[in-house]
Formats: sequence, C-alpha cells, structure tokens
Amino acid sequence: MLIGVKKEKDTAEGIARRQAMGESYWAIVRRQFRKNRLAVWSLRLLYLLLFIALTADFIANERPLYCRIDGETYFPVFKQYAVGLGLSTWEAQFFQKGWREHDYEKVVWAPIPYSATTIDRKNNNYRAPGDKQNIQSWRFRHWLGTDQLGRDVGAGMIAGTRIAMLVGVVSMSIAAIIGIFFGALAGYFGDDRFQASLIGLILNTAGLLASIFYAFTARAYAFSEGTFSIELLKSIGITVAIMSLVNLLARALRRIPPLGKPITLPLDIMVMRLIEVISSVPALLLVLSILAVIERPSILYVMAIIGLIRWTGIARFIRAELLRIRSLEYIEAAQALGFSEWRIIFRHAIPNALTPVLITIAFGVASAILLEAFLSFLSVGVPPEQVTWGSLLRLARSQVSAWWLAIFPGFAIFLTVTIFNLLGEGLTDALDPRLRG
Amino acid sequence: MLQYLLKRVLIFIPTLLVISLLAFGLSKVAPGDPVELKLRGFGPDQQNLSNAERIYRETADFLGLNKPAFYLGLSPAAYPDTLYNILRRDHRENLSKLIAQYGNWEPISAYYHQLLRMNYTLQEVSSQQESNTFRGIRSALQQLFLTHSDIRISSLLDEAETLAAQDSNLQASLQQPLRELSSSYEAVKEKARPELLYLPDIKWYGLDNQYHNWLAGFLKLDFGISYYDSRPVADKMKDALFWTVLINGMAILLAYLLSIPLGVFSAIWKGSFFDRASTITLFILYSLPSFWIGTMLLVFFTTPEYGMDWFPSIGLGNLPREAPFWSRFRETASHLGLPVFCLAYGALAFISRQMRGGMLNVIRQDYIRTAWAKGLSSRAVIWKHAFRNSLFPIITLFANIFPAVFAGSVAIEVIFNIPGMGKLTIDAITQRDWPVVYTVLMLSAILTMAGILIADLLYAWADPRVSYSRNKR
Repeated sequence: MLIGVKKEKDTAEGIARRQAMGESYWAIVRRQFRKNRLAVWSLRLLYLLLFIALTADFIANERPLYCRIDGETYFPVFKQYAVGLGLSTWEAQFFQKGWREHDYEKVVWAPIPYSATTIDRKNNNYRAPGDKQNIQSWRFRHWLGTDQLGRDVGAGMIAGTRIAMLVGVVSMSIAAIIGIFFGALAGYFGDDRFQASLIGLILNTAGLLASIFYAFTARAYAFSEGTFSIELLKSIGITVAIMSLVNLLARALRRIPPLGKPITLPLDIMVMRLIEVISSVPALLLVLSILAVIERPSILYVMAIIGLIRWTGIARFIRAELLRIRSLEYIEAAQALGFSEWRIIFRHAIPNALTPVLITIAFGVASAILLEAFLSFLSVGVPPEQVTWGSLLRLARSQVSAWWLAIFPGFAIFLTVTIFNLLGEGLTDALDPRLRG
Repeated sequence: MLQYLLKRVLIFIPTLLVISLLAFGLSKVAPGDPVELKLRGFGPDQQNLSNAERIYRETADFLGLNKPAFYLGLSPAAYPDTLYNILRRDHRENLSKLIAQYGNWEPISAYYHQLLRMNYTLQEVSSQQESNTFRGIRSALQQLFLTHSDIRISSLLDEAETLAAQDSNLQASLQQPLRELSSSYEAVKEKARPELLYLPDIKWYGLDNQYHNWLAGFLKLDFGISYYDSRPVADKMKDALFWTVLINGMAILLAYLLSIPLGVFSAIWKGSFFDRASTITLFILYSLPSFWIGTMLLVFFTTPEYGMDWFPSIGLGNLPREAPFWSRFRETASHLGLPVFCLAYGALAFISRQMRGGMLNVIRQDYIRTAWAKGLSSRAVIWKHAFRNSLFPIITLFANIFPAVFAGSVAIEVIFNIPGMGKLTIDAITQRDWPVVYTVLMLSAILTMAGILIADLLYAWADPRVSYSRNKR
C-alpha cells in the first residue's frame, strides 16, 4: 500500500473520441487486440486446446467410435456417456472381452485407439516413439511412445489437455466469483458506506454461529457417513435457511429505536486484512498444506483449493476500480433514483469494472495450470491413476532414457502457459488507452 | 516514520495469529496419528499390552498431545469435555461417532471401558493358549474399537460369543466378560438421548492447551520436535536453510547482474533488433516452467544416455567431511551448477522485463527530454537521470521475491535432491510432520510481510516524493 504516489492513469480521451465517432468500446478493444499478432495466434491455439479438451473422448479412446458385431451396430464412445450417467449398461460381451478382442464386421477406431489408462502389455516398459512396436498395424502405433505400464503417451496428453483446461476454467471461475464479490464489497462500500442496524449485526453474528453449529458441527457424523457433496448441499441449505430467518427477524426488529441504531462497518479494512492473510503465505505452500488434510485425493479438490486461494488478485483489481467508480455521477444518479445498494453494485458498478479483471483472469489461468501441473509432478493431491501432463513428466524422472516423457508433456505445459500469458499481455495492451492510436 | 513503522508491525500481529490458527487447525483436521508416526519401529514392545499403552502415553505426553487442543470448543452438549483424555486418535474418533448416534456419553464410556478391560482379559488368557478361535475373538475385539455402526458391532459381538462357545477352555474365562460387554452395548442403545445432539455447548479448556503451548514456544523460538525423526525443528531448518540461501542467493545475484543491463539497454534501444530478440527470448524463458527445464536438464545433461553427460547427477556429491576443503568445494559447486541455472533463468526473465518497463516509463518523462536538451552525454542521461528513477519496479520486486523463491526452490530442490527448505517442506507435508509444517508456514508469512515492509521503506528511500508520515490518503 503506497501512499503519496498516484499511479498515473490517462483519462480515456481516445475512447471518448472514438465513441463519439460511433464505435463501441468493445469494437475498439477488439481492433486493438487484433493488431497484436501473437495474441491473436494464442487465441486460435486456445480454441484448438479447448476443442481437444471437449472432444477428448473422441480423439483418444480404447473403445471404437462405431462398430458392428454379429449384425448389431454399436456406438461405444457415445454409450460410455450414457453408462456414466447411469442411463444404460454395457452389453455382457463387452464385459467378457477387451475392446481389441471382438470379431468386428466393421469398426471405426478413434484417431488414437487408446484411452489414457489403457494398459498395452505387449508394448510396456518405455517403448520409444521410433522403436519397433508389437502392434497389428500402423493404426495402433504408439506415436508418442509408452510408459512403463504400456500406457499410450499420446492418449495421456489428450487426457491431460482436458484436465489442464478444466483446472484453468473451474479454479478461475471460483476465484472470479469470490474475488468479484469481496472486491466489490470493499471497493463500493469502502470504510464509510456500509451501515447495518445494531440488531442486524447482533443477530447475524448469532445466526452465523448457529449455522456453523447446526450445519457443520452437529452434522459431522452425517458428513463422515454420507456422500460428501450431498451432505454439503444439505449443510448449505441449513445455513441459508438460518441466515434468512435471522435477517427477516432483524428487519422486523429494526423499527424499535434502540435496536435499529445504525453502525458503520469498515468493510474495506476487513477485506484487505483477509487478502493480506492469504497472500502472506506462498500460494504453493498454502495449497500443499491444505491438500495434506484431504484423505482421498481428487482433482476436484485441487481445483477448488486453487480457486479459494487465487482470488486475491481479482479482488484487488475490482476494489480499485470500484473505489474510482463509486464516486462517478451515474452511480450517484442511481442512488438518487432510490435503487438498492445491491442492484447498483451488480447492475451498474461491476459491469463497468469487469474489463481489467479479464487480464488478471488470463494470467490467473496460466498460473493455475502451472500449479496443478507442478502438484501432479510432485504427485500431491492428484490420485495416482489420474494421467495429467504433470504426472507424465514425473515419470521422466524415474526413467531418464525416456526422453519422450520429458519433452511432450513439458512442452504442452509450456505452450498452454505461454498462450495464456500472451493473451494476458494482448488484453493489457488492448485495454490500455495510452497505447491507442 | 517511526510511527508508521510501528503501525505496520502492529498490523502483522493479527495476520500472524490468523495464520497460526489456520496452520494449527489444518494439523488437527489432517488424518493420521502423530504418536503412531513417531512410534514406527517399536514393534516387539507393542506385544505387551500394558507396556504398549505406557509407551503410547509417554510419547503423547512428550509431544504435548495429552492436552486439549484449543482454549475452547463448540460441540453438541452430548459430548463430554474430557474426550481429549482418550489419547488414541482412532479410538477417540470412533467414540465420537458413537456419541453422534446415541448422544449419551456415560453408557458409551462404560462400554469403552468394558472393551479395554476385555482387552486385558484376553492378554491374560493368551499367555496360556493361542488357538484359532482365540485369534478370531481377539481380531473381533480389535475391530470393535474402530466400529461404530450398529449392525457391524452386533455381528462382531455375536461372532465373539459364538467363537467363545466353541472352545470350552475359553468359555470359562471369556463368557462372563463378553456377556457384560454385550449388555453394556445394549445399555448404550437403550439410553440413547439424541436430543442432546442438537443443543450447542461451549466448552472452556483453559490456557494449558496444545495451541497455547505451541504458540508460546514459537514466540520463545522453540519450534518443537519433529514427529518424524525427533530432531528439534530448529536444527532441521538450520541445515536446510543453508542450502536454500546458498543456491537462491547465487541465483538471484546472477539474475540481477545480468538483467539490469539487459533491461536498460533494451529499453534505450526500443524497437531495435536487440530489443525484440531479448524481449522474445525473455518472454519464452519466463513462460518455461522451471520444473520442466529442471527435468530436461536432468535427463539430458546428467546421464550418459544421450552423450551429453556434462554434469554430475543429483544430490550434492558424497565426499567425506575429512576431504580437503577445495575438493569438497569443487564437488559441491559442480553439483550446484544446474540448480542455480534453473533458479536464475526465471528470475532473470522476470527482473529484466520489469527493468525494461520501468526504464521505458522513465525515458518518456519530460525531465529526461530536458536532460537531453541540456546537452548531457548519453551516459549521464541514462545512468544518472533515468536509471535511478527506473529502479522502483525492481524495488517492489523485493516484496514478490520471497514467495517466488520459495516456489522455485521446492521444484528445483525436489528435482535435484538438494536438502534445502523446499525439500524439507515437501517431505514434512507428505509425512504429515506438522511441527515442521507450521513452523515453515509461520516463518514464510513473517518473511513475506517483512519483505513487503522493506520494499515500502526502500521505496520511500529511493523516491523522496513518497512519504509515510502524516497526511495519508
């Protein structure tokens, strides 16, 4: 926190001029962005990666895309989704034999006819891409080699793409929601604008304690016995019920004079302290120690934890923007019209503050992907059977002669991180009014 | 100024308290029994029940785990405030699951004591005979300690009784205690008081608790004893810190020495070939994950596989302590080459990008134009007028450098197997060696905040316009 030096920020004269010429803000940003060729190419590559992530099951799969056995037609890859959702079950013959061993009349394999976890026993023990491989035809070749168990590295790369994209999107969505919420609270209300009634404060504190007790402490047993996600939903339901009850009560009691005494809460200080706590411990260390608590590792926890830790940057940006916006005339106009504070924040203030956050999110995705890759490289927090870029790279350490295990996944991590960094740079330039011609 | 400093340091305190609570809370929620971790390898003594119990109790006392965890606790009224006295974590958790079902502590406690007594009875019997049926009973009993579901407990009790009925010798000595055990379990079910589970109750444990003792010790710089190898945490950290400071110091020094001229010149010659080439190279370096580069260097340069075996393999070399200093020095230095390179290139890219940005900002300013107009030599303009003012971003880097160094250290130390802080932390976390973990968490928080404070102070020192005293905001 620096006092005295004000970051110089140009008034958006360029924008105003262009907008006067009838060009929308986004059209200007888009045109500005297109000037940066590297950023445009990164965006194209990002589309490609997203496409691979979405269609990963059709690109690398041990099941055929389409097959005909004894006159019956099957679409096993599609069926896999139905089975996964519990809508259908596999025919008995698919249990009895592996996918390779059927007598197909007709069959269309996926481009990579292996899943990430398929174990090819004939080609195990680190078969290099160029080695002679024990396969029926070139169609089943392991183009990127195999690992010790005989799992196809190419299929692993495809599965890893999906995980990496998922980590980036999910964790940054969580971070964005938390960060925008807290940043908006701190920025819009500052230290002086948030007023609550005395009774509201007392009842909310009591309600919070009560909901911690009834939703979590008293239900610890239910948590340990039942399905975690269902129990969590129930607990959230209980919390919401208690809090809304308490607030209804507070609204009724507020009319009684001594109870309705207004009290100003310094929200800005509170949020900034919270941010300071989180950012004073290195993120990696924090993630690692929280992951140590989890008994059954899952990639979902990794995403959630990264999201819960990496929101501080976004919150800082939104706060700074809203501190500026809150004293603008249109906000005053909205207040004069008698709109509720929440409506002003979410409908009027936040939409105007979102653009710079895109930059933080782009860099945030890069660092989230990097962090997840590093965690699976250390094999912390990711289940051992999960194939990710990081876990493939880890295998290279145990077998140094397997160069393909070091180069391909590492390059994929590098490429993805670079793409997001370049996008972030491109956005920074496109949104910076000083660089506009 | 002094007032400002004091205020900043005072703000540290609540932040550190929150972090200490977080670290302590994590260690309590984490699975695993620290006493069991410490007792690894006490195999033969565990055969004797009372002996094993004594050892367990002594170890728990030694680690301070025989005290309540925190000053106070919020739990349903059904839970007793003395549950922490049951030292074995698995037993304690099983008992609290039983309470969560039936809500009546007294009968459950009676049932637990019955189980313990039964355990001793079995011990006495075992000295006389050891048959299959006996083993069956014993295993059923061991499972009862960790079972909370009604069906499972009933079936285990039934199993034990049928087994005891098969053997006439056992029947004489075990039938009576088994029956008592069953009836005590029936009592638990009959006297259930589930309403107590929904009555909140705040329990006050006083100052003599684990958290308080740990925090008091931390303030006295006594960081406790590792669960894993019983060494004082401070000792372990001292050894590790040496290597981390050494490799990071060299890497940062190298990075600064190279990046400052690089940044300055690419800013001055903006748009030139040199600028574009260095910007792109540095951008690529910046995006290259250090754990990938570390692995690649390890794969290609330390093994004879690819004909480029130029560096020694991982570790620090293993010359004995008696070896002459210089040969030890050379051995260690050759092992540190690759790790230092890995740590340096990322920092290099980062710092010189910042330096270039800062310099670009400055040479646009009016006073630089004035300096040129005055006819000063380019050396004077660049190094005297522009360079000093462009140092601000480098100074603020100081605040970011610690977390970055830590993350880099973990990757590099793990890959090259250097016994530094990063490796110590990772090992401690995977071994659930919590005294080490929360000491690292606290120290890193202190260092990060101190880094930010120092950066702010340096900022004021470098730029007279920045002032922390009086009218702020």
